[in-house]
Amino acid sequence: MSAIQTTLGVGIGWRPDITGFVRELPGLRFTEVIAEVVRPAHPPRDLLALRERGAAVVPHGVKLSLGGAEPVAPERVAHLAACAEALGSPLVSEHVAFVRAGGLEAGHLLPVPRTRAALDALTANIRRTCAELPVPLAVEPIAALFDWPDAEYDEGAFLTELVERTGVLLLLDVANVYANARNRGQDPAALFDRLPLERVAYCHVAGGTERDGRYHDTHAAPVPGEVLDLVAELCARRRPPGVLLERDGRYPPAAELRAELDAIADAAGMERVT
Amino acid sequence: MTGAAGPAGRRAPDGPDGPFDPALAAAQEALVRAMTAGAPVPDGFDAAAVRAAAEGILRKRAGEVARAWPALAASYGADWPRAFAAWAAERPTRGSFRDGWDFARAHRDELSPEAALRLALVEAGWAYDGNGEPRRRRAAVRRVPGGVAVQLLGRVTVLGRGTRR
Repeated sequence: MSAIQTTLGVGIGWRPDITGFVRELPGLRFTEVIAEVVRPAHPPRDLLALRERGAAVVPHGVKLSLGGAEPVAPERVAHLAACAEALGSPLVSEHVAFVRAGGLEAGHLLPVPRTRAALDALTANIRRTCAELPVPLAVEPIAALFDWPDAEYDEGAFLTELVERTGVLLLLDVANVYANARNRGQDPAALFDRLPLERVAYCHVAGGTERDGRYHDTHAAPVPGEVLDLVAELCARRRPPGVLLERDGRYPPAAELRAELDAIADAAGMERVT
Repeated sequence: MTGAAGPAGRRAPDGPDGPFDPALAAAQEALVRAMTAGAPVPDGFDAAAVRAAAEGILRKRAGEVARAWPALAASYGADWPRAFAAWAAERPTRGSFRDGWDFARAHRDELSPEAALRLALVEAGWAYDGNGEPRRRRAAVRRVPGGVAVQLLGRVTVLGRGTRR
């Protein structure tokens, strides 16, 4: 699997609530859709129109549970593959996380222990998934408020070994890097030096909210300046093919969202899409 | 793909299509039970941070249920996230549609007329025993506030309120 060659540029996650806004962005060449909401036989019409215009539409799975001890569900993998086919996607993405165990749904992405055992489970699940996908897979390290005890790797070493074992691409969420470092009192940019940046297929950025002394990556607030600075810092080391804004609620007026996309483009040294 | 053989065989017997690690499975289940079903936080974790994460998930679930059941959430106004979280704290999600349905059934006496109507209309359209997947009904008649809802082949009509839906 070679690193993704195409240039995606600045993107924004497609959501039903902002479909009109996304559709009207004149320079948009890159969007992402939550895979679980797509019916491959009937994809949202606006997404197909964007695809017609030449925009890359990346299915982003949130419920595959690649980091679960249990094997990934074949029907969930088949759904991701069908989404990629239906949308003509250049790649699909998922998370380095688990979302269920013992038949219980967590309701969100949970961190995996940074142990050899968890790496083995992730490796097996990523291989099972890639074997069925028509396009490359990128995996996203998540934001987590806590870590498992008894880690055998730091995050950089864990992810690097995962990439080496599986050949998977990375979806680097700069806001997750920021949130994790802020909540642990660490330097966020230090992780950039520990990751194979040439394997980054694209990046996410988003905003969050501080609550009781902890920063929650809610995707429902403006992108903080610190995250934009971090985008610039990443791009100074190695510019990723794309940077995509995730917004999942409390949508601001269109002018504010456009300004945010422009600020992301400027921080990344990419063309504005507004 | 690197194609390198994994070290799984050294740790646990392989399943038909790869390694399965029962210890990892048990540890993950214990964490999910702590975060969604009221079980104690497993040893070694920062319990306050795990609880903060669980509360964040409950706020997110409350927002998702509010989107699936807007009249239900509106019954509680600004108190919705707290009311939902209090009920959901020890109930793992079964998806926002069923979470909202289960909540509405558990709080029938507190619902606004509009939320009660939405619940009755959904119950006229779907059979749901509170456990399995809801199934579409072919036909049903349900009492709703101020009238009767008649559902036939997916079309619901409310009789006796002066409105049709």
